[in-house]
Amino acid sequence: MPDHPTRIDLIRNIERALRDESLQRQMGKAMPASRRARADAVAELPEWESLRSAAAGIKDHVLADLEKYLRQLESQISALGGTVHWAFDAAEARAIITDLARSRGVRRIVKSKSMTTEEIFLNPALEAAGARVVETDLGEYVVQLAGERPSHLIAPVVHKPTEEIADLFVKKLGVPRYERPEELARVAREVLRAEFLAAEMGITGVNFAIAESGTLVIVENEGNARLTTARPRIHVAVMGVEKVLPQLADLSVFLRILARSGTGQRASVYVSLLTGPRRAGETDGPEELHLIILDNGRRRLLADPDLRGALRCIRCGACQNECPVYQHAGGHAYGSVYAGPIGAVLTPAYEGLERARDLPFVSTLCRACADVCPVKIDLPGMLVELRARAVRTGLASWRDRMLVGAWTFFTRSPARFMLAGSLGRLAQRLVARGGKIERLPYPLSGWTAHRTAPVLASTPFRTWWKSRQGEGR
Amino acid sequence: MNRPVPPGDGLVDDPVALFSERAEQVGISVITVGTYDEAVERAVALCRERRVQRAALWDTPEMAPIRDRLRAEGVEILDPRGSFETLAGAEIGITGAEWGVAETGSLVLSAGPGKPQAASLLAPLHIAVLRSDRIVPGLATLLERCGPLPSALVLITGPSRSADIGLVPVLGAHGPTAVAVLLVAGLFLGDSG
Repeated sequence: MPDHPTRIDLIRNIERALRDESLQRQMGKAMPASRRARADAVAELPEWESLRSAAAGIKDHVLADLEKYLRQLESQISALGGTVHWAFDAAEARAIITDLARSRGVRRIVKSKSMTTEEIFLNPALEAAGARVVETDLGEYVVQLAGERPSHLIAPVVHKPTEEIADLFVKKLGVPRYERPEELARVAREVLRAEFLAAEMGITGVNFAIAESGTLVIVENEGNARLTTARPRIHVAVMGVEKVLPQLADLSVFLRILARSGTGQRASVYVSLLTGPRRAGETDGPEELHLIILDNGRRRLLADPDLRGALRCIRCGACQNECPVYQHAGGHAYGSVYAGPIGAVLTPAYEGLERARDLPFVSTLCRACADVCPVKIDLPGMLVELRARAVRTGLASWRDRMLVGAWTFFTRSPARFMLAGSLGRLAQRLVARGGKIERLPYPLSGWTAHRTAPVLASTPFRTWWKSRQGEGR
Repeated sequence: MNRPVPPGDGLVDDPVALFSERAEQVGISVITVGTYDEAVERAVALCRERRVQRAALWDTPEMAPIRDRLRAEGVEILDPRGSFETLAGAEIGITGAEWGVAETGSLVLSAGPGKPQAASLLAPLHIAVLRSDRIVPGLATLLERCGPLPSALVLITGPSRSADIGLVPVLGAHGPTAVAVLLVAGLFLGDSG
């Protein structure tokens, strides 16, 4: 079957990533450090498992009654003087935000890190509307200067070595070449501080929204989200429908699991609970507050009982840090906004399995992602389900279908399994050298492309076991 | 489907000691003082050591003694109801803190008239004055007690930081490079219980 024209070629992307030495060095440093930090932070909490269960339970409860909580959130925010906008898809969200900017004569916009705004390709639309948009999270700022996209949920520029950032600053900011991270951060701080002071609109994501109080919760380490929400006259917050929580009491569970899972901190440096726009007598905070509630495929996912659990995701990045594929592939290989195990589920769900057909297949199903997921998403189960769908709908490659078909045939009964062994022992005479198989012919060639396979034993285990019956007891 | 009940905080023997330990671990200097007057002295001494010329303070009765002392020392007190641009000129921000959270070592500040966020955000050094009887064991207790919510309630757990460049932690990414808490450990007669 012909490939979808814009199909994500994950295999080719990964092969390219594996040849990229600087990427491999970066990932080789960052991923183990992130895993250790998380493991230490989690080990400190004896109640970790009960927190995970509570978090999963609260999310499932919300998802089962989503409209009610979203309506409650809307009425609370309206009562506080904010405005809620509903966006069915990316185009609607972009139109709402660009209209807001245009109608209020906004020329300068600061943004704090938000995957949801990445998802709707917001920045080009705002620029086309004549506004200057500046990302203010340090990593996102680098990504923006480089004209790239973030490669990790919480470490957007994890793929880029410091020397490249130093060169980028020279080229784009016209500053002398600084090489130390603290010098580069200072340069960015100065440039961005001026942007904050000049901005008329601040755009942020939302980590959690509390229905009962109309509170938007934003979690960060740098303080750029605080500046983005405290200084500009207008605050536009963009959230996916799944971010709502019923009550303030629910928040403690999520704050405790998010920071520990993401960065290994007990708490992120800044957690802002924003309840409505600026009030009488106050001198900072936005005069106008707009909340965009975005669907963009989420309600379709909600209606899918096998994949619905992916909407529990709180974007901590732990599954990425833990994934043996992501660790080497890096985020860009996944060809979309969300990478790693959660991306391999969300991208097919949001953008179509046709475009993302390879993503669910590129996983060892080792379950490391499921073990660390703080909201207990069954990522491996979802990847298997997506594989099954790809096969059922004829999207899986011919080779994969043939191999899976052969496997299915030979593992149906013990006799067929024995037959496969006998055939294999005959066939390997053609390819084995010195007890090893270094190259298998198509369609098995992939198996030996990067490793040497051992030969099948001359006597099958079952035969050997039978011959030992009664010995040594 | 009933709403699952979120678990509360674990038992903490000595919330004040845990707060101090964990705040220090995240880079908040904890300066314990016996009385509020002592806190005022320490705040003034810190400004003197750093040769502070411009300070941003909350406009609350609690801050009044610090403000008056600093003025007497020749420090310019920026108008707490002034613009963001004005407050951005401060070398130090001095605020109160409504709560402390022991489990995480966090300071909790609420915004309000005379209590701009700018005071805890723009200067390279932020000092907060916290009463030890306002320290709660964990986040669950905090969220039970902190309502009704102000326009902004901010939990601060250390100086502003980023490890985005080269995976090297850098302090003062956008906000303060240093955070200190003046922890007033005295007995608070008349408002216990």
